[in-house]
Amino acid sequence: MTSLDPIQVFRTEAAELFEQIESGLLDLLNDLSDQDTIDAVFRGLHTLKGSGAMFGFEALAAFTHHCETAFDRVRKGQVPATDELVAAVLDAQDHMKALVSTPQGDHEDASNRLLAALHAAVGGAATTGHVVTPPLPQASAQAAAPASAPAKGQAFHIAFRLPANAMINGTNPLGLLDELRELGECTVKADLSTIPGLGSLEPTDLYIGWSVDLVTEQGRDAIDDVFIFVMDDMDIKVTEVAPVEAKAAEAAPAAKAASPAPEATLQKAEPAKAPGNEPKHGGKQAENVRVPAERLDELMDRVGELVIAQSRLSQLAGSSADLHLRAVSEDVERLSGELRDTMMVLRMVPVGSLFGRFRRLVHDLARETGKVIELETEGETTEVDKTVIERLADPLVHLVRNSIDHGLEPPDERVAAGKDKTGRVILSARQSGGEVIITIKDDGRGINRDRVRAKAESSGLIQPGQMLTDQELLQLIFQPGFSTAAQVTNLSGRGVGMDVVKKTVEALRGVIDVRSENGRGSEISLRIPLTLAIIDGLLVRVGAGSYVIPLSAVEECLELSLEDDLRSRGRSFISLRDNLVPFLRLRELFETGTPPDRYQKMVVISTGDARVGLVVDQIIGDHQTVIKSMSKLHHDVVTFSGATILGDGGVALILDVTHLVAVGQYQEAHLRAAG
Amino acid sequence: MNPETVKHLFDHVWKDQDELSVLTFSLNGETFAIEAINVQEILDLLPETRVPGAKPFVAGVINFRGRVIPIADLRRAFGMEATEATIDSRIVVVELTLEGEPCLVGLRTDKVHEVTTLPHAAAEPPPIVGMRWRPDFIHCLVRRGTDFVIIPNLEVIFSTQPARSAA
Amino acid sequence: MSAHILTVDDSASIRMTTKIALTGAGYQVTEAVDGLDGLNKAKAGRFDLIVTDLNMPNMNGLSMIEALRKSAAHMGVPIIFLTTESDAEMKARAKAAGATGWITKPFDAEQLVKIARKVLGK
Repeated sequence: MTSLDPIQVFRTEAAELFEQIESGLLDLLNDLSDQDTIDAVFRGLHTLKGSGAMFGFEALAAFTHHCETAFDRVRKGQVPATDELVAAVLDAQDHMKALVSTPQGDHEDASNRLLAALHAAVGGAATTGHVVTPPLPQASAQAAAPASAPAKGQAFHIAFRLPANAMINGTNPLGLLDELRELGECTVKADLSTIPGLGSLEPTDLYIGWSVDLVTEQGRDAIDDVFIFVMDDMDIKVTEVAPVEAKAAEAAPAAKAASPAPEATLQKAEPAKAPGNEPKHGGKQAENVRVPAERLDELMDRVGELVIAQSRLSQLAGSSADLHLRAVSEDVERLSGELRDTMMVLRMVPVGSLFGRFRRLVHDLARETGKVIELETEGETTEVDKTVIERLADPLVHLVRNSIDHGLEPPDERVAAGKDKTGRVILSARQSGGEVIITIKDDGRGINRDRVRAKAESSGLIQPGQMLTDQELLQLIFQPGFSTAAQVTNLSGRGVGMDVVKKTVEALRGVIDVRSENGRGSEISLRIPLTLAIIDGLLVRVGAGSYVIPLSAVEECLELSLEDDLRSRGRSFISLRDNLVPFLRLRELFETGTPPDRYQKMVVISTGDARVGLVVDQIIGDHQTVIKSMSKLHHDVVTFSGATILGDGGVALILDVTHLVAVGQYQEAHLRAAG
Repeated sequence: MNPETVKHLFDHVWKDQDELSVLTFSLNGETFAIEAINVQEILDLLPETRVPGAKPFVAGVINFRGRVIPIADLRRAFGMEATEATIDSRIVVVELTLEGEPCLVGLRTDKVHEVTTLPHAAAEPPPIVGMRWRPDFIHCLVRRGTDFVIIPNLEVIFSTQPARSAA
Repeated sequence: MSAHILTVDDSASIRMTTKIALTGAGYQVTEAVDGLDGLNKAKAGRFDLIVTDLNMPNMNGLSMIEALRKSAAHMGVPIIFLTTESDAEMKARAKAAGATGWITKPFDAEQLVKIARKVLGK
């Protein structure tokens, strides 16, 4: 189930650790004394270093070691956490990311510069008393059979006595004796002299000592290796009794083990309480299996194919008189539906992972612009298809930058306008029906409509004085080449980006709503369908062709009698509960060249508040629609957002609801203007 | 993509080879050849779905092994009359590189002949004058007996088809 | 019957390396993602060896080892902890908490298997 390439797993894990560390660091900026967060950051750095060293990212391990050391000192209260330290580690983190992505690159200069900043931040003492080189490959336990081992057998006399609690702690004395026996010919004698009387005997304690005569070709080191884990705590005397030179060795403590622990209190780590990280740490952890994204995509494809095959089966069964076949077909239909739903859930990830990275962005932007900014996030647990999350990352970055750069005023300007000097940016997500709505809201100056209009006129996007609805005017900011920034800053405002935002959102079959109030702020909402790969659709027939209308957009279906149709000729409006709704005859739009069916149907679809009726020849029914993208060669065809394969193997095109509603509105505006 | 660039790239079709392995097929009596390496599959006619609003050159789509791919009619590019499908009609699915990405397209053909090799020595660039077709739509002509085999420059054809005004 | 080993680490990559190394040597391996998870799994199952990291969220390795040693069922079960060369202090504390032995990071499969064999006995 999981990728078997540990390096790849490490990279994924490193990305998560970076997020966790970053989130912790940003939390610390709010409360430098939060011990839990300090611990969490330390742990993140520690794991990064340890795992990095395991998988050959030595430069990363060496570099991270310094940051870890710095936080270790903070953790132990030896140095205080400061803004400078947090900033230095934030900077260092970008470097660590580079060390993960291009471990072979030349990073030395950057390393040195960042370390200097880090040392300055902890009073130049970050590494005092510590070895600054990366952890070296271990030398002790593996040092068996060294080159110096004598060719012929050497005789040793070994007397040892393990600590009383050795067995409780998992050391098996018989195992040690077995290991000695493996080294060569061995005579073992137990020393039972210290076994106490029954009254004071602790059954779990070890009272026996041993003396062993061993002849081995593997030398003294091999013997030490047998006792490596207990060497510090035990009595052992190894005497060489071979003819060469009786060299009585004193109990040899493992040289590298440093002095035992001073009594610091044990860290009883509480779950880290970094906001935005709750799902990972919340209480008892559910068991997780990590699956590479492409496997999920593969599985999604298979499920898609299954859904298609199933609809073919349903069609066959439907035209068959065989009741058993029908029953089986219904079962398969139910199961594939459930499988589809489960699959959808698997692809859903909380948007919190996306929001997390904005805290850093806002932090950086605040430093760059000198504005005082507070970022609030809401609805982090809202779940969205992972593809949507991936594709939305860049557009959201752009929108947030835009809000901060263009929307929020500098502190003095805000104060002059009677506002709090801290500008607020609220990033929120919520689910509504089949859509997820992601909103970026600021309390800045709002969009200057006059300036937008002037700019659009001067750049030829609209005619001078052209009549526009407010929404149309605001949407102009998403036109290619449009930028209202009076002064181009290096953050945003080069006029590239907003059009890309719009394109990306549309590619996800989403729409953008803009609201803005002068002096009060702006709000940009991205409404994106929850899932991309399979939708519920309404299959209709227009002329000889089959088409799918996304069910999430369908409000109702009506019958359009020939009389109604005739009466509405030239008007293309019907009255629906006292509202005039424009409608489109798809037969005409699609130039089918066929006569209308006698009983035409109208499907009323909507996006937001706008509605439009689509006149079709026949409503065939619900259809689980596996979305296939249209070829590049058809990208000029805006009426369709994709295609799907029907049960009979034919192709049906999926109507682009947003586009059709826009066409309807345009028609409405024109008719209103004319009439 | 810039047609000049495309042409330049496609000029390397022979890649210093003496021979080119191709699939030959006919359209309105002319013999065409496409590099065999680009041919994915030869299909019997499938039900086509018309795409309202699409360019006439790529007016429909088919279901090719679960993928929805466009069907193109080279006759449109070479100003030929549309003809009725016959029992010999086939769809040749080719893979093209458009805007740097691979793209599958089905080509309507009247009849598919064979996979054969064409000698480089017999190839000639398209004549600049005296030809009713756009010269950049043709990579080269290869003489075979008294006839010519046309190697069309699909990348250019597919990247320069005008929007629906051509209808 | 092959020995059953519990590997406790919050790092998925280390868990995976440990698991690949130990299963490759014929052991059965169960994973736990932090000290708390490790403690729960250790108490719920029967393990012949526990290999654990020390620095972990929710419950660190030291607390887990201490807690395990307090339960009669886990007296005598070998516990190996992962440490770095530079961490002599942690090593001493882990041993005081009841660990059997350690392996120094970075380690390779061979080193780990060798140590597992050593503490498990044949």
